[in-house]
Formats: sequence, structure tokens, C-alpha cells
Amino acid sequence: MAELVRAYGRGLAAVFAGLTAVWLVLMVALPMANMTKRAFTLEIRDGPSAQMRVELERARQQIAVIDFDIAAAETEIARGSAPAAAPSPSDPFAGLTGRASPGMAAPSPGGGGAEPPEARIERLRAERAEAVAAIPAMAAEVERLRAGEDARAGLSVENFTTMSPLHWRVFGLTFLYCVAVTTIALVVCYPVAYAVAQAQGTGRAGLLLLGLVVPYAINELLRIFAWTMILANNGILNGALDALGVIDLEGGETIRWLASNGSVFAVMVYAYVLFMVFPIYNAIETLERAQIEAARDLGASVWRIHRRVVIPHAKPGIAVGCIMTFMLSAGSISVPGLVGPGLHPDWFSQIIYRNFFEAANWNVGSARALMLLILSTAFIIGVMRAFGVGVKEIAK
Amino acid sequence: MLDQARMQGREVALDGLSMRFGDFTAVHPTDLTIRAGEFFSILGPSGCGKTTVLRAISGFAAPSAGRVLIGGDDVTALGPNRRPTALIFQSLALFPLMTVWENVAFGLEARGMARAERRRRADALLELVALEGQGDKRPAQLSGGQRQRVAVARALAVEPAVLLLDEPLSALDLKLRQHMRAELKAIQRRTGVTFVYITHDQGEALTMSDRIAVMNAGRIEQVDAANVIYDRPETPFVATFVGEQNVFEGRVESVAEGFAAVATPQGRFRAIDRAGLAPGEAAAVMVRPERTAPAANAPSDANRFTARVERIDMEGPYLIAHLRAGDAAAALHVPNLAGAAAGLTGAVEAAFRPEDAAAFRPGGRARG
Ligand SMILES: Nc1ncnc2c1ncn2[C@@H]1O[C@H](COP(=O)(O)OP(=O)(O)OP(=O)(O)O)[C@@H](O)[C@H]1O
Ligand SMILES: [Mg+2]
Repeated sequence: MAELVRAYGRGLAAVFAGLTAVWLVLMVALPMANMTKRAFTLEIRDGPSAQMRVELERARQQIAVIDFDIAAAETEIARGSAPAAAPSPSDPFAGLTGRASPGMAAPSPGGGGAEPPEARIERLRAERAEAVAAIPAMAAEVERLRAGEDARAGLSVENFTTMSPLHWRVFGLTFLYCVAVTTIALVVCYPVAYAVAQAQGTGRAGLLLLGLVVPYAINELLRIFAWTMILANNGILNGALDALGVIDLEGGETIRWLASNGSVFAVMVYAYVLFMVFPIYNAIETLERAQIEAARDLGASVWRIHRRVVIPHAKPGIAVGCIMTFMLSAGSISVPGLVGPGLHPDWFSQIIYRNFFEAANWNVGSARALMLLILSTAFIIGVMRAFGVGVKEIAK
Repeated sequence: MLDQARMQGREVALDGLSMRFGDFTAVHPTDLTIRAGEFFSILGPSGCGKTTVLRAISGFAAPSAGRVLIGGDDVTALGPNRRPTALIFQSLALFPLMTVWENVAFGLEARGMARAERRRRADALLELVALEGQGDKRPAQLSGGQRQRVAVARALAVEPAVLLLDEPLSALDLKLRQHMRAELKAIQRRTGVTFVYITHDQGEALTMSDRIAVMNAGRIEQVDAANVIYDRPETPFVATFVGEQNVFEGRVESVAEGFAAVATPQGRFRAIDRAGLAPGEAAAVMVRPERTAPAANAPSDANRFTARVERIDMEGPYLIAHLRAGDAAAALHVPNLAGAAAGLTGAVEAAFRPEDAAAFRPGGRARG
């Protein structure tokens, strides 16, 4: 902080500190706190209180319906007691209310005989009073039941412990898949990053990097969708195989590429390679060329040069690349969603997504998200241990 | 102690070697023989192609034409790891993440030697370069001179027949550089390995080398022992790049018995004809400041000129008097004896012997 003040002056330093604090609170601390709280809060969604509340709602609705009927009868009277054999077309709610409130005892205006409007109002008023009188008791009952449930809910680990075996399986498989994606990406990216970093002349390296970056100018969804076009049953890949005579499309012979783990891996690697290539490239870039030459001069094989000189130097970059790729693939929804539809088991991130946006069960969703976060953190720590790199080196 | 019997220097021969980068010729066709076991320096200004020659010998750069022979074997087609050479880089290129002994033993590791044996050899080599007990440090924990010696030990570990050194001392301060010169020379003597030493520092080349090649703009201009390079330079570039020269430009009057008489604005000077000059040609007479002296005791056939003393610099053992004679600047060295400076004021008469002076065609001189 003192350093910041020295470097930028008091005013700017205060602005920096303030913005950082706002960011930390709004974007990190609050959502995390909220998510953690939700994850550890059991929400009983269809207990007795919820059923009672439904009944309460229904009673309230009934009162509203009666109010409509009363208003309709009053209009009739005002029009000069014209006999109303059929429901007035100006009253669009008449038919609706009849359908919407099956619990109503009274005949609706449409279905009734020739009851005079005055009598009808009388009857409706009595009914309304009765219904209104019942409400406080019902509300009290809801409160009572809720209190009972709340006593059971509150802080709880039930959101975690009640996960179904299927979801546990998905959880475990997601971890394995993400490790696999990270490994594949590393194996593919290391040679690329090395080649680019060692390319002679700045122009060539620039071009190569540009080539790597250009595909990323396209929206992620489109990029993935392009793959589904390639991999579809009548897609480009099968078309090419057909043209080569490997398969016979006309004869209904197709290879099902989509919805296979292999293609999910391939597309995911493609989607996130840049996050692997760049950190490794940056790390190798800073390796003095003469060190590689010295190792070669001393008779080291290509393999030994990499194992003893290049990889130890690039370790922090490799660690960062692995961490980023792992986190991105663990959190990816679009790739398994578009490339692997109907593939079971799913990716764990999809389960989280469904909890939030389809089942609207935010508490369970938060619990699942927290699990994924813990898994990712464990992976990060594991990678940092394995590579023997600390936070400081990674920051470098 | 190190098994020194195993190390043996070998001869390096360049046969019509030339190196081009696109349209640019970094090294013009060169023939050169470096004798087995000699301390050979390649001296030249920055960018003259020294490193390029070294990279051709080590195998990192393929020659555009010509051959490289080591110990009589044609190695032109071999990679750096298959040549009996070891290169010490301009930047040393130690491996920062390995310990000192692992650095030294890296070449042995690459040959698949067992760890205990590697360690033993590394320790012996570290002893050779006076770094006993430093094996477990990291290179970054050593001083510049110590790192230098680690690089030497690492290169010697693979028992090369030829050690190639690319300005290895340029990063060190003056005192350390002088110390390391002596040390490198001693290591070279002890091991008998052929050293090919690149430098742009003439002092370094002159003190350490058995022979020196002076290189300029991709060409080797002269290959000789240090005293010959200094006393009998064959080209104006060699004459002016190595040491200082007083230069007087004029026109040749006559040539006789290997001496040219050149008429200059400063006077008519006789000098050894090193360029096969003809009467009427433009020429430059060069003589070293330490061979130029006040005329008082000069022999009768000496070349004489009068000049004005502009400044006197104290160099410790001797004084440098900076003179101006018409257009030409000159300098002379006088031993720093009692009262030596007294006579060096105003106009003085200076003299040099014809045998100490050389006449060349003008041009082709080193800058500065
Ligand atoms: N790979 C290359 N591509 C193009 N030109 C090069 C290359 N390597 C060297 N050169 C050129 O060749 C010439 C000689 O380079 P070199 O490195 O041999 O010089 P040097 O004598 O070692 O200089 P210094 O004392 O500064 O190290 C220089 O003009 C340099 O620009
Ligand atoms: Mg060089």
C-alpha cells in the first residue's frame, strides 16, 4: 500500500484501493458468502406447509372470483334489469371464473337459471364473508407448519449428503474427464508452444500466435457449433469419409461422432487450447536459447534437453495452463451441451445448471457448485505440489 | 585429480569455409589451421563474424561452402553433439535450476554415466577450476568469476579435443578479467586441449594466445604470434586495430630496399614498405607511440617532425604526450622518470626510426 502511494500518489492509490475493495466485496465475497449460505441451507420444498400454502392461495383466489361475480351482477342491475339468459359478452371473466374455480358451490351466471341479480348478490356476499373468515386460520396454520419445518431446516449438510449415486458418479467422472482433457491439451500444446517460442525471427512467431488467436475471435458457441456441423451424422467428417469410400452414407451407414466422449474431449481441447498454449509459450519464451544449445553441445538427446532444461524452466507456465484448462473444462456447459447431447452420464456443470435454471433449486445448485469449487481447488493445490511451484512463481 | 591423460587437443582446419545469411556474407571463404593443443585467439571488432566462425566449428551453423576438419576428420556434416568440441557461450548459458555439480556433470549425465561416478568427476573438475566445495550451490549463488569457471568445468567434463570460448570474460570487471585470463591459460596448459578463444579485446588476445587471427568484416587478415601481430602488422587494419598508431598520410616519393620514402605535410618519412607501393601512390606511414620519442637522442637516419604538445596524460609507468603536427594527431610515450614532463611543452621535435614505421596504402584502417 505504501508502495502504491509512492508510485501513484495518494489520490490515485486511494481510487485503486477503493475499486479493489468494491470488486472484492461485490464480485467475490458476497456471491461466495451467498452461495455457501445457500449450499448449507436445507430448503424443504414440498412439505405440509407448502401444501397448506397452496390451499391458502386457492382460498384467496376464490374470494377474488366472487368479487368478479358480484361486480357482474351489479352491472346487470344498473343496466335496468334486462333478463340475462346468457353471460354478457362484455364480461370475459364470467366463463373463465367458472372454469378456474371448480371448488365454487354456487352456479355461475352462465350455467344458472333465472335467479334475479339481487338475490344472487346476496348469496355471493354471504359466501364471500365465509371465505374471508376462514383465511386467518389457514394463514396461521401455514405459519405453524413453516415454523416446524424451519426448525428442521436451517443449517444443514443435507444438500450434500442427499446427492444421488448417479450424481456422485457424474461428479467423479467429471473429474476424470477434466483431468483427461487437461492432459490431452498439455500433450498437444507443449510442442506447439515450444515450436512457436523457438521460431526464429519475431515476425514468424507473431504470425504463428496470430494464427492461434484468430479462431478465438469467433464467439465460443459458434466455435463449438462449427464442430457439431463437422461431427454431425450427415456432417463434414462423415461426408469426407463417404467421399473416401470408408463408409456409405447413402446406404445409411454413418459413424456417430457426436454424443461420444471422444468428441467432447476433442472439442473441449480445441475450445481451451489457447489457455494452455499461452502460459507455456510465455514461459518457454523467456528461456535463453543458448541454454538449449549448450545442452545439445554437451551431447544431450532431445528428450533430455526437454526433461532437464526446458520443462523445469517452463513449469510455472505449464502449471498455470493446466489449472486454467481444468477450471474451464470443469465449468463448461456449452461443449457437453452441444457436442454430447443425450450422453449419459452428464458433465457435472450441467447438473448445476439444471438445478439453478430448470429445477429452480438454488440451494442444491449452490451445494453442487461448491463441491465443484472444492474439487477445482484441490486440483490446483495438487498441480502446484506436483510441479513444486508456489503462488509466487505462478504470479511471475 | 582429473584424469588428464584422457584429454588431448586436436587440430582444427577450415577449408574454404564461408558463411552467408541470405545476401549477406558474414564470413568470406577462409582457410585456417589451428594447431593441436594451442591457445588460439580470434580477434576482431564487433560484428566481424567471430561468433559465426565459432558456430561453424562447433556445428551449430552449417557452412554455406567449405569444410571443417577436426583432427583430420571431416566433421562438416556432424551435429554439435557429435563433434569433439565444447562451446562456452558468450552468456555462459549455465542451467540456473541445477546445482553447480549437476551443471558440470550434465554432459556425463547425457552419456548415461552413473550418478556417483558423475559426482566424483564433477568434484575433480571443480577442483581443477578452484571451486572445491561449491558443488551444491546454484549458479546464481556464485560470483561472476566463479560462474565463469563452472562453465569451463562443464565444457571440460565431456573431455573435448577443442574448447571453443566466445568472449567468455566480457561480462567480468577488469581485475577479475585479468585474473581469469591467467587461470584460463593455466587450465589450457594443464589439459592440453586446443582452445579457440574469441575476443574483441586485444589485451586479452595478446596476453593469452599462442597465435592470433585478426578478423575484419568477415575476413581473416593476419594469423601470427602476438609479437608478430603487434610489431609487423600486414594490413592497415591489423596495424590500427591492435594497439595505437601515429598515422601520417602522404605520397610515395621512392621505394628502395624494402623501404618507401613518403612525403607528408609533416615531413619526408622513410618506413618499411608493407604494401608493395609504387612512387606517386598515396600512402600512410604508421608508427607506434612508444616507438616515437623526443628527437634529442635520435639516430641520424631517424624520421623527424615538429609538433605542438596539446596535453599530457599520466599512465603511471609512462606519460602520453598528445601532439598535433599540422593536420595529423600523434602521440608519444615517455618513461615516467624524474623531470620527464619538464621538456614536453610548447613545440617539440619528435623522431622515430624507419625500421619501426610501416607504410601502407591509406584506407582499411580500424575506426577510432
Ligand atoms: N542468424 C543470422 N542471420 C543473419 N545475419 C546474421 C546471423 N548471425 C550473424 N549475422 C550477421 O553476421 C555478422 C557477424 O556476426 P557475429 O555474431 O559472428 O559477430 P561477432 O564478431 O561475434 O560480433 P560480437 O563481437 O558483437 O559478438 C553480423 O553482421 C551479424 O549481423
Ligand atoms: Mg559474438
